[in-house]
Amino acid sequence: MSNITQRDSFWNRVYELAKVDRDIIIVTEDMGAPSLDKFRTDLNDQFVNVGIAEQNGLLVASGLAMEGKCCFVYAIAPFVTLRALELIRVENAIMNIPLTIVGVGGGFGYDDSGPTHHLIEDIAIMRSMPNITINSISDAIMASAVADESVAMTSTNYIRLDRQLSPDIYKPGDDFSKGFAVVKPNADKYIIATGRMVQTALNASEKLAADGISLGVIDLFRIPVCIPELMNAIGGSKQLFSLEEHFLPGGMGSYLLEILNDEKTCIPLTRLGLSFEKGYCYTYGGRSKIHEYYEVDVDSVVTDIKKAMN
Amino acid sequence: MQQKIENLKSKSFEIRKRMMEMCIKAGTGHCTSSLSATDILTTLYYGGVMRHDPNNPDWEDRDRLFLSKGQASPLQYTILADLGYFDAAHLENFAQHGGAFGVHLQNSVPGVEITCGSLGHGFGIAAGSALAAKKDRKLNMVFALLGDGECYEGSIWETAMFASHNRLNNMVVIIDRNFQCVTDFTENIVALEPMVDRWEAFGWNVKRIDGHDHAALLDAFDGSRSRQSNRPLAIIADTVKGEGVDFMECVPLWHGIAPQSTDAENAMKTLEGRYVK
Repeated sequence: MSNITQRDSFWNRVYELAKVDRDIIIVTEDMGAPSLDKFRTDLNDQFVNVGIAEQNGLLVASGLAMEGKCCFVYAIAPFVTLRALELIRVENAIMNIPLTIVGVGGGFGYDDSGPTHHLIEDIAIMRSMPNITINSISDAIMASAVADESVAMTSTNYIRLDRQLSPDIYKPGDDFSKGFAVVKPNADKYIIATGRMVQTALNASEKLAADGISLGVIDLFRIPVCIPELMNAIGGSKQLFSLEEHFLPGGMGSYLLEILNDEKTCIPLTRLGLSFEKGYCYTYGGRSKIHEYYEVDVDSVVTDIKKAMN
Repeated sequence: MQQKIENLKSKSFEIRKRMMEMCIKAGTGHCTSSLSATDILTTLYYGGVMRHDPNNPDWEDRDRLFLSKGQASPLQYTILADLGYFDAAHLENFAQHGGAFGVHLQNSVPGVEITCGSLGHGFGIAAGSALAAKKDRKLNMVFALLGDGECYEGSIWETAMFASHNRLNNMVVIIDRNFQCVTDFTENIVALEPMVDRWEAFGWNVKRIDGHDHAALLDAFDGSRSRQSNRPLAIIADTVKGEGVDFMECVPLWHGIAPQSTDAENAMKTLEGRYVK
């Protein structure tokens, strides 16, 4: 387990970048982080707090960006995205004003806060618009690397950070340019996961291995992904699974289905994620209990994979 | 001064006429919204208020004008063409296949800052632009023209309190107060008055003027570049939706449409009758 959250890792790197690039500005919608305290103290002129006003935050950041600033707009994930969605559509998708939209708490990061704070629709919604890249972060090392990439981007980058500490999957210096990573290679069977669920996929793969079933793990962290590279990795597979902390319609699994269809492959893909039948949940007692409710905990994933393989 | 005002009146007539001709030909366009804001924009563009250069639309030190009521695009397009920002021949193809621009505002047009059609956008972007100017110690002004109906959008008030808190006194917002929305008069829908009190309560300096009186408009803008106040300035410009075409004035049904056939002929006649002596 990393000793630093994704957001602190991300903001620490942005702080370093902002010290030498005074055009970097954080527009926070009254959202803090331990790592932002030093930013506010040392780089006060590059820190703007608009209050709990997600529409204005998005607009002010867009206005700053139009004038050449490199803006990060930051809040709890469901609010920085969905509350300001029509503004994101006009300013960032239609006008292509580049921003980095940073949301903390993708999936069930705010597990005990109930469905208002869960964000399980954003991949479907944000990927439906051009000029917006989604980065669904799976560990603190990736979070830091994506900060560097974001500064260099000329279109909008939506960064979906987990709120909780996450196990390290990567090493510093790993290459994130392809938009996915094979974190556990396999000859012909993969589970493709995103965000928090990459670790669940790794755990499921280990359990399956104990039963003599071999399953590789791919982390698909960026949409749009580099499709030729992804097809190089999975094109020879006999069976695929997807796993996400997101409703199934329109999510990462749907994105994979579109790719497999457009690439004219016949590889079967079983999508694991949150079903509409389960709806929204008021389940407390931790994220693992929520995963059990939606049947995306490790044991349920293992069961579903075994079932699909038979 | 008197000559300047006469010139502005004359220019406003020209712009109204050209804008109406363009919309009539196209069979579309928000004529009444454009007519209500005409004198405001002609004062800004032709009255020596805004610093701008038609030969260099992206001039870094230009004053910014964010037309937050993007439905008044026919007005801004007509003015920009008249000023030479682009070839006036483009007006002939307004909202036509192959044309350069349509009913709502488009930022690809030289001299236009933003794409805008849904409301409550341009004002907040203007605040971001004004904040950037402050941070970079630039001297350009940032103007935003809002519709009064646009003030129903919650984002307007988020921005209003942000701009005053951040002392964006390089920002001037003009509210085209024509008292009409899409289906009805604002005070019948949900009352927007008292406008002055509301903007003052949000920390703005406020002036209320006749938005068709060029002398009053010039006076309201006078000194806006070097005001002593730390507060941004809101100018509530009382206007008539459809100003200049008597049968379209204050009739909600004329929202968003261009007159056709005999209505079109009458519209042009009544415009001439109002302004040509």
